[in-house]
This record gives sequence, C-alpha cells and structure tokens, in this order.
Amino acid sequence: MSRPRTTRLSRRQILAGGAASTSLLLAGCTGGGESGSGSTDGSSDTTDDGDSSGPDPTLYVAQVKGPIDMDPVVINDVPSGQIAGQIFDGLYEYGEDVRIQPKIAADMPTVERDGTRYIVPLREGATFHNGDPVTADDVVHTMTAPVDEQTANASEVNMIDTAEVVDETTVQFDLKYPYGAFTTAMVRSVVNASVRREDPEAYNQEPIGSGPFRLVEWEPENYATVERVDDYWDTAGQPAVAGIEFDPIEEQTTRVTELETGNVDIIETIPPQLYETVESNQSARVTESPGVGYYYLAFNCANGPTSDPRVREAVDYCFSMDQAIENFVEPSGVRQYSPYPASISAEWEFPVEEWSAIPHDQDIDAATSLFEEAGVSTDYEWRIIVPPDDMREQIGITIGDGLQNAGFENVEVQRLDWGTFIQTYQSDEGPNSEDAYNMYTLGWSGSPDPDAFAYYLLSQQTNGVTNGTFHGYDEASAMLTQARESADYETRRERYIDATTQLLEARVHLPAYNLNNSYGVNDAVDGFSAHPIATEVQVATDHTTVSVSR
Amino acid sequence: MGLLRYTLWRFAQAIPVLVGIVTITFFLANQIPGDPVEIMLGPTPAQEQVEAIRARYGLDRPLYERYLTYLAGVATGDLGQSIYFDRPVAEMILLRLPVTLLLMVSAFAFAIVTAIPLGVLSAKRRNEPADHVSRVVSLVGVSTPSFWIGLVLIIVFAFYLGWFPARGLVLPWADPADVRGAATRLAVLRQSAHHLFLPMIALGTLQMAQIARIERSSMVDSLQGEYVTLARAYGVPESTIVRKHAFQVAQLPVITIVGLGLSTALGGAVLTETVFEIQGMGRLIITAINNQDYELIMGTTLVFGFVYVVGVIVTDVAYSYLDPRVTYGDD
Repeated sequence: MSRPRTTRLSRRQILAGGAASTSLLLAGCTGGGESGSGSTDGSSDTTDDGDSSGPDPTLYVAQVKGPIDMDPVVINDVPSGQIAGQIFDGLYEYGEDVRIQPKIAADMPTVERDGTRYIVPLREGATFHNGDPVTADDVVHTMTAPVDEQTANASEVNMIDTAEVVDETTVQFDLKYPYGAFTTAMVRSVVNASVRREDPEAYNQEPIGSGPFRLVEWEPENYATVERVDDYWDTAGQPAVAGIEFDPIEEQTTRVTELETGNVDIIETIPPQLYETVESNQSARVTESPGVGYYYLAFNCANGPTSDPRVREAVDYCFSMDQAIENFVEPSGVRQYSPYPASISAEWEFPVEEWSAIPHDQDIDAATSLFEEAGVSTDYEWRIIVPPDDMREQIGITIGDGLQNAGFENVEVQRLDWGTFIQTYQSDEGPNSEDAYNMYTLGWSGSPDPDAFAYYLLSQQTNGVTNGTFHGYDEASAMLTQARESADYETRRERYIDATTQLLEARVHLPAYNLNNSYGVNDAVDGFSAHPIATEVQVATDHTTVSVSR
Repeated sequence: MGLLRYTLWRFAQAIPVLVGIVTITFFLANQIPGDPVEIMLGPTPAQEQVEAIRARYGLDRPLYERYLTYLAGVATGDLGQSIYFDRPVAEMILLRLPVTLLLMVSAFAFAIVTAIPLGVLSAKRRNEPADHVSRVVSLVGVSTPSFWIGLVLIIVFAFYLGWFPARGLVLPWADPADVRGAATRLAVLRQSAHHLFLPMIALGTLQMAQIARIERSSMVDSLQGEYVTLARAYGVPESTIVRKHAFQVAQLPVITIVGLGLSTALGGAVLTETVFEIQGMGRLIITAINNQDYELIMGTTLVFGFVYVVGVIVTDVAYSYLDPRVTYGDD
C-alpha cells in the first residue's frame, strides 16, 4: 500500500466546503424576516406575502397532522378531509351547524319505500375543474366506489344496496335496510368518475374536484397548497382568498408560537394549557365549537365484579367525573352526560337534564357499602385499560385513585398502544374476561346522527367490535336497532331516549366529555369560525366567506 | 489487496448484515401486538372490509411466506407497499431521505468545523482557561440530549428573539418558484440555511462535543510524540509543528468517531426532526411504528441500517487509506 498523496488536498477541500457551508449559514442567519416555503417542507411565513395570484392574500392554516390521501373515495383521516373539503363539493354540505343543505343536489332527497329508497335531484351547471360537468354517473361512482374497492371508509356507505342513474339529473339509492342517517352519508365529496376510473392512483395524487379551490401541490403527511378557482361554478361560494396553504405542526407549543409570531393565520386544536396564551394574544382569538364526539368510561358488563350493576354504581361513587373533566379536559372540552354530542342532543331535543342527574357525586362511604353488598373483596385486582391519549389516561387514573380510596390496593391503569388496545377490547369469541379489563376509556366520533353513537357503542349487534361492554340489556339493544331501521323521526327519537336512559341508569357507560373543535385565529382573518364537524374547515361556502386583510 | 478490492469485499460482507437486519426487523415488527389494518380502520363493524384490506396487503398469508416474498422483493429493489400511505415504500423513502441526509451532513459539517479548532486549541493550551472552557463545552455537549437543545434553541432564538424559524426546512435544491419569498436560487439557499441553522446545531452539538474531546486527547498525545520533540529541537515554529506534524497524525481517531457517530446522528435525527417539525426519515419511521406499517418499518430500518453500514465501511476504508500501518486484509 502506498501512502495517499491526496490526503491534504481532501482535507482542504473538506475545510473549504465547511467554510462555504458556514458562510452560507451565516448568510442565512442574517436573513431575518425571510423564512418559509410553500412547497418543500411545510414551513410558512406570512411576513413577506409573495402572493402572485391576485390582490387577495393567501390563507395559512396549521393543521395538527398532514394529509395522507386526496381521493375522497379512500380518504379516512381528518387532515385529508379538511383539505379535500376545499377541492371537492358534495351532494350536500353542512351549514353553520350540523344541519345539511343541498350543494350539488338541487333539493333535499325524496325518501320512499319506508326509508330504503332515496331519490336525489341534481343541480345543473356544476362543473369540475377540468370543465367536465358533474353528472349523475359521478355521484353514483362516488357513493359506490368505496364498497366496490373495499377502501378504508367503505363502512360509511355500505348500507347502499344499489345506486342508479335515473336520468341526467336524478340519482336513486336503494338501501339494504332503512337507515335514518343516510342523508349525512351523502355529504361526501363527489369525484370525477371518468378521470378517476382511468387511474385511481393518479387521481389520489392529482384529484380533480368541483369545489372552490383546486389542488396545486402536496406531499403526504406534509403540506398542501390549493388555489382559488376563478370560474367556480357556484358563484355564491366564491372564495375571497387567493389560496390556502395547509401545513402540519404537530407540536402544540410550536403551533401556538407560529400563530403568535404571525407566521400562520389559523391554527387547529388549542391544548388546555395554552388557551390562555392564545386568548391573551392581542392579535389573535379563539373560536371553538363542541365537536361531534363522545369520550367515555365503559365497563366489562359480562365478566368480573363489574357485571353487577351495584359495583358499577359503586365505581361511579368512587370519584367525581365532573371534577376530573374540570381538571384534565376543560377548556379544550366540555362535560357530556350522554353518548350524544350537544349538537345532536339539541337537534333531537334529548332530555339532557334528566340524563345529567344520573351520575353520582363522589361518596366513598356509599361506594364502600355497595362494594361490600356486592361481595367484592378489597384484595381484588382491578384492571383499567386506556388508549395512548393523556386525557383518557387521566380519567383512568382518577378512577384508579377513587378505587384506592375505597380500600382497593391492587388497581392497575394500563396505557396501551392503539394496536394492543383494539386487540384487547375487540373479540369475536364472546365476551372478554375480567383479566382483559374491568373498565376501559375510549372515544368515538361520527356523523351527526344518534345512530352513529348509540348503535356502534351500545348495541349488542356490535359486541366485540365497537362495543366492549357485552351488556345484557336486550330490550335497550333492540330499541337501538329499531331506531336505526326506522325512517320516522318521532319513532327514532323515542327509541333513543328510552334505550339511552335505561343503559345510563344501568351504568354500562359513564359518559365523560366531548372535545371542542378549537382554532386560534389571527385578527387579520375575518369570517372564520369553528365547526362541530372536525373535517369542516369552512373557507368558502354558500354561507361562509373567509377573507384576510394584511 | 488493493483499495478497490478491499472496498468491494467490505460491501460484500455487508450483505449478510443487511439480510440479518431485514430478518430481525421483519419478525420483531410482526410480533408487535395489534394489527395495522385495525389501526388504520379503527374499530369497525365491517369485518369483510378488514379481511379485504388484509388480503390486499398480503397480511392474510403465513409469516414465512411473507418473509420470503419480502426478501425476494428487496433483492430486486422492491421495498413493498406502505399500508398507511398506500404508496410504494421506496417512493416515501426517496421523498424523505434527502431531507434527513441534508440535516445530517449539515450537522456533521457544523460539528467538524467547530470541534476540530476547539480540540486543537484545547490541546495546545492544555490546562489553561481556553482548555477548561473547551472541556466544559464538550462535557455539556456530550451530556445534553439533542431534543432538549432543540427545544431551548426554539424558545430562545425562535420564540423570544425571532431570529430563526421554529420549524420546517427549505430544501436548497427547491425550485425558487415554489418557495415563498424567494425569487432566485440564492434566496432559496439563504432561506434553506436560515431554516437549517437551529436543527443543525441541535443535532450537531453531540457530534461536535464528541469530536472535540477525541481531537483534544489525540492532539495532546500527538504533541507529546518524539517526532514533535525532534521538530522543536530543530527549531520548527510551533504553528508549523501543530499544523504539519501533530495534526495529521491525530486525525485517525477522529475519523473513527465521525464514522461511528453516524448511528448516533441517525437516532438524533429522529428527535431533531420531531422537535423542528421536519418531514424526514425520522418522522417517517415514527409514523411507521405508530401505525404498525410493517413494510414501512422494514424499509426505513433497512435504509437506516444501510446508511450505518456504509458509514462504517467508509470509515474502515478511510482509516486504511490514511494510516500506512493499517493493511487491506493482507498478512
């Protein structure tokens, strides 16, 4: 081996490279107000507004996570839905609350055959961004493709038996069973069937919608940029901003900092400990709306001591859910006394006051005597499983503390990863044992219909799938099925009230809270407010026009 | 054995190592409780849908069959399909790898450019105030986790002073038309440097401290060598002795520590990317693990393993290349 002759030269080159890098970095250090990229890695800066697409500025939105998909047929996550909502229009759209109104549909659907047939008239003049008209075939493809292709969101439309094009402006859906919540299922973004059929994967990369914005570019789990469609078919929903840049900022403190420094206009989800920071900001405000969700404690009603209703009531006496929510959830969320979010309860006029009187205040003596009456030994080893979420873990820990106060020394609150959690509480071989869990905390979000909560979480039909209680209240469960399969509002309402009251009194669940959809909004933004539906970031709709003045 | 043959031989030796990485990762990942499809769908009543998606990704096949299929795929450059992203794993890696490499190269550049003068200065002024300061800086650098440094940098330089952005990265090769506020290539480079500065320091501080410590001790040894004494006896100026006689010999341990520092830097990149919201390989592997995306876990781990193995080989080759006492495997 000969001694290398180029060592010194290489070192010099390295040093020269290093010096060049350092110079470049120092140059960058002096770059002051220049920062941000709309394309490479999701950082943004509104201090230098390089908008070139018109006099209206761009709106900068910081999401909690980035989008995964852009094709509504496959989208199954909130961030993707928030962006797709700008690019696509649906047959129907949400108004300022959870009530829906026609968009591509010309009117509300006609319901026939005891709620198993929905006939939808279409509006004329709706067009996709490539100029294609929105047709009945596009609507049929939108509603049937998820099941045909077995996509992750197929369960949202799997009640459809057949979907037919009646004529150019009429679509007919026949359902497998009456499904009262079908109207909300039609708030799906309508895709361009002919383009999508050619290459579904390409459509997921470069979707063509009929909404007020078109997609410019995006990167999975990262940023997305949309620009205004100047010749948008629905003049009532014409945007007042040139475009929107969505960037994910997962770290909540960074998200708030970016709002404070004016680098973004809107940030999603304000954590409880940072509410005050945002509210005290001179140039920003908080807008929030209770979401369509439900977080709860559920009991193993089939095995172990919690199969006895007296024990479940004793657990209720062990702690104060009101206090726990105040400590760990507010102001990011609100106390909820039933499986139904406030918006649903209000729309359906549910007896929320009556239900709010069911849970007990903390009373350890009452708890102890009920445990003794039920014959639960203080040596009993309790197991509470919680998902990887701080709030739900805190609820579990609070209950654990309450049980310890009642004399139980062996209480385990186990935080499980999602995969393990789901595997533990789901079962296709009958009720889970008490060794799996005595209690679990979980949450659920769904469409704004009682069925989306009551059926999935409390019906025996969903035992071991989305209902881990395995309760034996057959009558209540049957009522939930009847409510689901009825198209009559009054019948449904009565069934939901009766079944829910029975199950709450039996303490199959202890309802806990619902989270707010909260946003921090720079004062330069006008017209934006939080919506109960998490995927609804309403910037340009028939009833909302968000503008930015810099 | 010549340099080329030696290098090829070392790369050939790396193949079983990589197969080992794939094998261990594959079976470990598949032993994690839970199911990626159930995580993707959440609790859902549609069992047929779960089964259809499992079949689509081949998760319904026996483990050994999936393993063999995966190995065959890797051999042809096919790293499989990500369940979470529903895209080829290779596509996701190609999207994210340049970001992490940029971060790592910058961190190492920062570390080398600062650590070597610091180490040399420290050794030359041994037991003087400059040495004490240098040693304290190195000790703090070695002892402080990169994510904590990152958070402090964000609080001070982004939040309070507002000198640097708290998150994100502008890639230097990005099209100026795609970078807001950057009309020219130079402006893109400036923005890139501006964004890179804090993460570079956060990730590079540990490397800097390690290199500075090794540089110092190596230079101290070197400056006590007989050839240095001889040079001094000949009246060679001290600066020339340090620069020409002592420095070069002292770099061999430094090269080793730089090569081995790759693994630490890869681990640090995961944390640094998380703190600074940079979408690189580190974030990708976290997403893969959180969602039990088997193919993505294996693909990202394989790339991390490959980068590490290449780092070690390059170190070995450089070591043999620079030090005449080290042979290319000849007896």
